[in-house]
Amino acid sequence: MIIHVEDLHKKFGDNEVLKGINCDVEPQEVVCVIGPSGSGKSTFLRCLNMLEEITSGEVVIDGQSLTDTNTDINAVRTEIGMVFQQFNLFPHKSVMENIMLAPLKVRKLSVSAARDRALRLLDKVGLGDKADAYPAQLSGGQQQRVAIARALAMEPKMLLFDEPTSALDPELVGDVLSVMKQLALEGMTMVVVTHEMGFAREMGDRVLFMDGGVIVEEGKPDQIFDAPQHERTKAFLDKVL
Amino acid sequence: MIHTVTFDWLGVVDFIPILLVGLYYTLLVSVVGLLIGFVLGAIFGLGRISRNKIIYGASSVYVEVFRGVPILILAIWVFYALPLVLGFDIAPLVAGIISIGLNSGAYIAEVVRGAVQSVEKGQMEAGRSLGMSHHYTMQYVIWPQAFRRMIPPLGNQFIVSIKDTSVLSVILVPELVFQGRTIVATHYNALEIYTVVAVIYLIVTITLSKVLNITEKRLAHS
Ligand SMILES: Nc1ncnc2c1ncn2[C@@H]1O[C@H](COP(=O)(O)OP(=O)(O)OP(=O)(O)O)[C@@H](O)[C@H]1O
Ligand SMILES: [Mg+2]
Repeated sequence: MIIHVEDLHKKFGDNEVLKGINCDVEPQEVVCVIGPSGSGKSTFLRCLNMLEEITSGEVVIDGQSLTDTNTDINAVRTEIGMVFQQFNLFPHKSVMENIMLAPLKVRKLSVSAARDRALRLLDKVGLGDKADAYPAQLSGGQQQRVAIARALAMEPKMLLFDEPTSALDPELVGDVLSVMKQLALEGMTMVVVTHEMGFAREMGDRVLFMDGGVIVEEGKPDQIFDAPQHERTKAFLDKVL
Repeated sequence: MIHTVTFDWLGVVDFIPILLVGLYYTLLVSVVGLLIGFVLGAIFGLGRISRNKIIYGASSVYVEVFRGVPILILAIWVFYALPLVLGFDIAPLVAGIISIGLNSGAYIAEVVRGAVQSVEKGQMEAGRSLGMSHHYTMQYVIWPQAFRRMIPPLGNQFIVSIKDTSVLSVILVPELVFQGRTIVATHYNALEIYTVVAVIYLIVTITLSKVLNITEKRLAHS
């Protein structure tokens, strides 16, 4: 497995937000995380690349334990791309510069190699003509696709998505989802926190339902959506479907 | 009998050269003082966002003390009291520059801190999630954005410091107000002279705002 999470706990002060999460993700697997607001989905995702400090338990990424003080967290993060709900593009940099920055500074690519890679990825997300634009000149859907290209430019082994379409106007959601589908079909390992049940059902190899800081139920999409076992899962799905 | 005052506006022209000497010192003290202030502000501004408690504490003390003490008293301390500690005299000009530097440094530190902290949290997270170190993310992502946001408040501080130099006449720095006062002492034309002094300040500060506006617009487009 490429992601191994064992008895993960996370507290903010006295507030225990994750109460013992266990979860393994295999290479090329697409895992969708669903659940009500405040259930700890984002916190869980952010513990996978240590954007949140882990209170107790263990997270192992591609054989490297994040809680091990000898682990170089920056090196591990180069293998984990992250896509945020609010895109978080660098507003002072052009689309190309956004994508090229980390490959240049961290992977130490040459400028021409970084540029080639950025142009190839922009084509891939359907924005080959926006190379010189600035983030503020793009729609939300376009910005999110640039953010995906930026994450891919590090050639990560896995991608984490935190509600990548929640900040988008409904008509822009499709473009982003289709890029994500393409990545899933190409075999990218993905953990996707989402409210897009259609995407979870179609593309998820596995769906995790979180509530109250624990994984209440998990299984194949059909199993979760058509035959949920737990009352909390049923209640949640009744509300959102 | 009604006391009448007569104004002699044309006579003021004779004193313009003396006032221009004052302007020279006003600008000299402001510019050099602010350069020191920029350095101090950058150091202590970063100190105020440091996670190291000692660095943070020391920076906070600096900011609170030099922001809180009126510049007049600061200048008197530097000019009259500091030599007693150091064992040698400090020239008025140097004392004036140090006072402006210490005072503007405290304000600029807050400008730096505010600008860095105003950059959205997601920017640091995006940089770190790409595997960039804290240092790289500060250098390439946070600073360039913070720097643009610092320009308007820094310009404001520049104007404030130019006016603050006027209190340095008490420690005998021959700046605009000092020169004006010297003229008034022998010619009894306070209203005329001080009005001209005010006009000179206005010309300098308005020119400066214009330059800053243009700089801001340029940066916004780039
Ligand atoms: N930095 C923080 N400091 C304190 N509490 C936090 C912090 N981040 C999250 N929390 C709390 O942790 C709980 C879980 O938050 P989290 O963002 O993980 O939920 P979520 O499942 O992603 O919800 P949503 O669907 O609304 O995004 C919430 O109660 C939230 O208030
Ligand atoms: Mg969330």
